[in-house]
Amino acid sequence: MPVTSYLVLAAILFCIGLYGVLTKRNAVIVLLSIELMLSAANINFVAFSKYGLYANVTGQVFSLFSIAVTAAEAAVGLAILIALYRRRGTVEMDQFHSLKG
Amino acid sequence: MPSVSGEFIAFFILAVMAIGGAVFMINFTRVMHMALALVFTFLSIAGIFILLDAEYLAMVQILINVGAVSVLMVFGIMLTRHKQEEKPKARPLHTILSLLGVAALFAVMWRIFYTTPFGGDPADPATVQSLGESIFKQHVIPLELTAVLLLVALVGAIILAKREESK
Amino acid sequence: MIKFAWIIPLFPLVAFLLLMIGRRKLSEGAAASIGVAGVLASLSLSVAVFLERLQSPSNYVATFDWLRIDQVMVTMGIEVDALGTLMLLVVSLVSFLVFVYARGYMRGDQRFSTFYAYLSLFAFAMLSLVLSPNLLQIYLFWELVGVGSFLLIGFWTFKPEAKAAAKKAFVVTRIGDVAFFVAILLTFWKVGSLELSQVFAAVESGQLAPEIVTTIAILIFIGAVGKSGQFPLHTWLPDAMEGPTPVSALIHAATMVAAGVYLVARTYPLFLASPIAMDVVAYVGVFTAIFAATIALVQNDIKRVLAYSTVSQLGYMMFALGSAGYVAGIFHLTTHAFFKALLFLAAGAVIVSCQRQQDIRQMGGLWAKNRTVGSLFLIGALAIAGVPPLSGFFSKDAILLAAYQDGRYIVFLVGVLAAFLTAFYVFRLFFLIFGGSYRGKEPVVSVPKVMVWPMIILAVFAVATGFVNFPTDAFANWLVEGNGIVAQTASTPWWLPVGMTILSIIGIAMAWILYGKRSVAVSSFGEPGPLPYRLLARKYYVDEIYDRVFVRSLKGLGLILQAFDRFIIEGLVKGIAGIISWLGRIGSRLQNGQAQSYVLVSLIGLILLVVSFTAGRLLK
Repeated sequence: MPVTSYLVLAAILFCIGLYGVLTKRNAVIVLLSIELMLSAANINFVAFSKYGLYANVTGQVFSLFSIAVTAAEAAVGLAILIALYRRRGTVEMDQFHSLKG
Repeated sequence: MPSVSGEFIAFFILAVMAIGGAVFMINFTRVMHMALALVFTFLSIAGIFILLDAEYLAMVQILINVGAVSVLMVFGIMLTRHKQEEKPKARPLHTILSLLGVAALFAVMWRIFYTTPFGGDPADPATVQSLGESIFKQHVIPLELTAVLLLVALVGAIILAKREESK
Repeated sequence: MIKFAWIIPLFPLVAFLLLMIGRRKLSEGAAASIGVAGVLASLSLSVAVFLERLQSPSNYVATFDWLRIDQVMVTMGIEVDALGTLMLLVVSLVSFLVFVYARGYMRGDQRFSTFYAYLSLFAFAMLSLVLSPNLLQIYLFWELVGVGSFLLIGFWTFKPEAKAAAKKAFVVTRIGDVAFFVAILLTFWKVGSLELSQVFAAVESGQLAPEIVTTIAILIFIGAVGKSGQFPLHTWLPDAMEGPTPVSALIHAATMVAAGVYLVARTYPLFLASPIAMDVVAYVGVFTAIFAATIALVQNDIKRVLAYSTVSQLGYMMFALGSAGYVAGIFHLTTHAFFKALLFLAAGAVIVSCQRQQDIRQMGGLWAKNRTVGSLFLIGALAIAGVPPLSGFFSKDAILLAAYQDGRYIVFLVGVLAAFLTAFYVFRLFFLIFGGSYRGKEPVVSVPKVMVWPMIILAVFAVATGFVNFPTDAFANWLVEGNGIVAQTASTPWWLPVGMTILSIIGIAMAWILYGKRSVAVSSFGEPGPLPYRLLARKYYVDEIYDRVFVRSLKGLGLILQAFDRFIIEGLVKGIAGIISWLGRIGSRLQNGQAQSYVLVSLIGLILLVVSFTAGRLLK
């Protein structure tokens, strides 16, 4: 199996995740899409850990750290979401426009 | 074309499952269904990790992403009130541009992957032992920092979620 | 003393700065004192330099490096040669007398201090000009002189004619200046240096092709034509008489207009090397001489008559130079500076005594009322008419002799005719002003003393300067010593001075018969007159022709360009502005507060970046 197959798989998943981030209006789904994108990145790490030019175990270590950070991100993101929900009573992305200039 | 082998068949099946789960996640209308479709994708990714000789990572993936994160998300979904159906609101320009942008990004990446020579033979399968040695010898400081990060995230999440109640 | 010649122009510069700084606070007396003091200091130093140069006939050159262009060094500095010394003396002397005179003439003017400041600026520029050792420095001060002239012609800003005249003078002389500038560029290109000495050396060694020398000489001459009011760029000079009379006397009679003649004389080796250029100078000069003299016959404004007379006399100098009469030209330049300044100052006195009346039809009979001014004017008139033994007689004879000896018989004959006309028109002026009875309405007032004694000094010079070159050729020998130009010392044929004197007297007599004997009725001036009269009165319609040919066609071109500007350039500008503001609206619509939109924009930006960085490789 060439490494390219794994990379393309990861790219497909990443793009689907990105599309979800861009278009989904439910904030929880956006968070889920971000998880998907991070997982796609993890696939790349692991693939290079086996097939890379300097293949070694560090890729997997990286991936482990990445998963840990993902977990933290999910926890904090959800906490923010809940705080936001309490304040605004909704989790629809297009209802949040306080960034408007 | 890569020769048909057991690895290829397994990869093919897992890839189809992962992509299928992701596409379902995008296309489902009920939020809970979306979360479950993503769990399916995460499971497939764990399978991909096993194909790549990263059994420990596959376990971690199942434990954290499939287990903890997904459960967290389900809690999040249930804690917030939803109009259960994702009502498509007309944002055609935004959707089309997003599609185009994502497609362009994919095209660029595709092109890069197929024009870049990734040389190298597959490495020896990494054992859990070597992984452990690498983490606890070579990367011990990042590991500790990650522990601190997780602690801070935990505390932060509690504070963020609690603050409104105190009022 | 000659080593300090570089200080000479600095006195008026200091005076200019002081006057400009204090122009709102200084009283008339203080302002005049500063101006006069500055130019008096220049005058005393000039005299000292002149005396020293008389004794030791060697040129003094002092330069410092100013700019380095590759291998070529452009320098600034001074060069004191015979011509420069003479010009220094003439310029500072006339300036001094005019400065004193202006104290009386400009009395009560609101911008009295500014007037002296401008006069000082002009004196600075003119004195620097005659000390310049290279073409670039000459050009620099040449333009500064033009600026001074512009400021002073338009000094009475409340007069629209003065403003128009200032503008005209600036624009018309600009035509000549451009040609001069092209000549400088051409010299630099071909010789590789702007130092006059090196240019002359290059000409003498035959380094320059004859055509190039001719081109440069003619371009320089065009510059001189603009400044010296030669045909066809003469039209600004009569209009410049809208300026105050001291200005007319100083700038537009004695010094600045002589700068053109000076320039030709300064670059004389170039002209000597090119017979064609000499021909051009001679014929343009003599044509201007006769052309302006005929116009002067019928003008009715006292200053305009003198202005056309100046144009005519400058033509004389030019054709003297063109006929190898270097000494004659410079000689006439000197004498003319004195007697024309005298005439102008006397005219100014007449104008003051007639309460700012300039029309000679409104004058007459002033001899009885103001004998001093009358006799001073008479001295000037006799000098310009060429009556012996006044200075004009000697210099004019020298010029005609030069033309005759150079074999230019046509030029000679036309010059003789112009001399006759000169005597006629200047005495027509004299008899109309001083003869007959007073025709004006305003009462005649007296002239301030401060205005009279500068005229007396000028009169002395107008009478006496002729004798520097007679009966010996001292002046000629001194002027050409060491600069390689051959002075003509051939003896004068006996019939020339005699004939000229007779012609002058005939001219004067005709003027007396026509204008002096019978007191002319005022009404006879109003008649339209025969065609030649109208032709002359309208100055050969030169202004009208310029208006039709150049001004109107340029205005048409201007209209076309304006339309181009309005519809195409402005359309483009507005179009671009429209595109930008459209982009701005799009951009501000992007600022909708939606995080997803922002992410989308970043994504598109990322793709563009990646594509632009990798496009070359990806498209392989």
